[in-house]
Amino acid sequence: MALRWPRIGLLDPVLRSWPLLFLLLGLLAVRMSKGAGLNDLYALLSRPFWPGSAQSEWLRRAQSVGDRLRLEQLEQENRRLRGLLGLSNRPGRGLSAPVISRDPAGWWQQLLLGRGSLHGIQAGDAVLGPGGLIGSIASVTPATASVRLLTDPGSRVGVWLGRSRHSGLLSGIGTARPVLRFLEKDPDARPGDVVYTSPASTLVPPNLPVGVIQTIDEAADPAPEALVQLSAPVDSVDWVQVLRP
Amino acid sequence: MNELFTLRPMAVLTALLVPLLTLAAPAWLRLAGIGPAWAVLWLLPWAMAEGRRAGLCGALGLGLLLDSLHPGPVTLLPGLLLLGWWWGRLGRRRGMLRHSLSLGLLALVGTALLNLSLLLQWLLQSFHAQGAMPSLAEGMASISPLLHQAGPPAAILALPVWERSSLLAVGGTLLLAQTLLTALLAPWLCSLQLLLWRHLGAGIRAVPAASPR
Repeated sequence: MALRWPRIGLLDPVLRSWPLLFLLLGLLAVRMSKGAGLNDLYALLSRPFWPGSAQSEWLRRAQSVGDRLRLEQLEQENRRLRGLLGLSNRPGRGLSAPVISRDPAGWWQQLLLGRGSLHGIQAGDAVLGPGGLIGSIASVTPATASVRLLTDPGSRVGVWLGRSRHSGLLSGIGTARPVLRFLEKDPDARPGDVVYTSPASTLVPPNLPVGVIQTIDEAADPAPEALVQLSAPVDSVDWVQVLRP
Repeated sequence: MNELFTLRPMAVLTALLVPLLTLAAPAWLRLAGIGPAWAVLWLLPWAMAEGRRAGLCGALGLGLLLDSLHPGPVTLLPGLLLLGWWWGRLGRRRGMLRHSLSLGLLALVGTALLNLSLLLQWLLQSFHAQGAMPSLAEGMASISPLLHQAGPPAAILALPVWERSSLLAVGGTLLLAQTLLTALLAPWLCSLQLLLWRHLGAGIRAVPAASPR
């Protein structure tokens, strides 16, 4: 038995042309979605004819140059502001130096570098490994420099947290992870927070990455303490950068 | 004493190897990141072969050399001088110890004593630096609730010394690792050096006896 459309007066022709109606609705959806589906289809079909990676590389390089210029501008601005505040303002010119001896776990936790006072290194200069600060120059000879690592019990560096901007003192305790002692009762710190050198520090350049908070002891007295995993691998670093004033 | 001076060039040459080996100790010769006590491995056979006075002289020279490698007020000299005197006395009294095991045991005790001397110095320094400061801080905090809320005074945190808790934990590990490693190396290295000093010493001592003929 054939299916017959019910007669509903004026709506009858409209109901009879339902395929056209669906098509119209589809086109309307495409129009409203600004070409969704259509563009994707075109992208899929035209993928073999897309431009090569050369222009993409140029764009990336341009982006990198732009970032560098922006960074230089920000550094200049930062120096100017630090100058206004009367804080240490060392530009930190870097000098690469090879590690010729290492003792990261003894009574004196230190590295010996193959560059010394003849190359312009002075006691107190900050030493960076790949990833962040690893220590400071403790003593120099004409051809060598001794680095006191951040893990050495005699090492004390002012730091702050990148997220919460709370300050503390990073103290070596003889183990691979130095302890960060906060100066406030509620430092708003949590594991994973990145630790930087303090902008108020007069011993090391400001805002150098140091490490990441691993665990926090909220119950420590008189203020919370955190163990910090250093960013730079002290055990395996072969070349370091000495930041000269 | 003349024999000591005759032996000196060789002694100086071998003693110079001690700081060089301390600096260049390879990673595979380390236990928990800690190398052997090369000073003990040199001083033990030297003092046992040459006696108390030579032992003290060797310990003094070696201590001065090794102290130059490290910053800070803590020194290896007391421990090394004690060991030089003790091993020199032991060598003269009982003659040459022939058993490698005895050398290993002496190196073990010597390394432990050397590390204990360092630990004691750090501990004394820690007591000296921190002794009065915490009580001062507690007094200040009890007077002013505001200071108590503010956290610890930065001056106390900034004292660049070992803390007692970490000193005992880390120092214990360090002492055990270095003692074990040195004791394992001593039977071989000390026996060879003992033979060397004995051979050289015998040759030198034989010369004046033979010359009058």
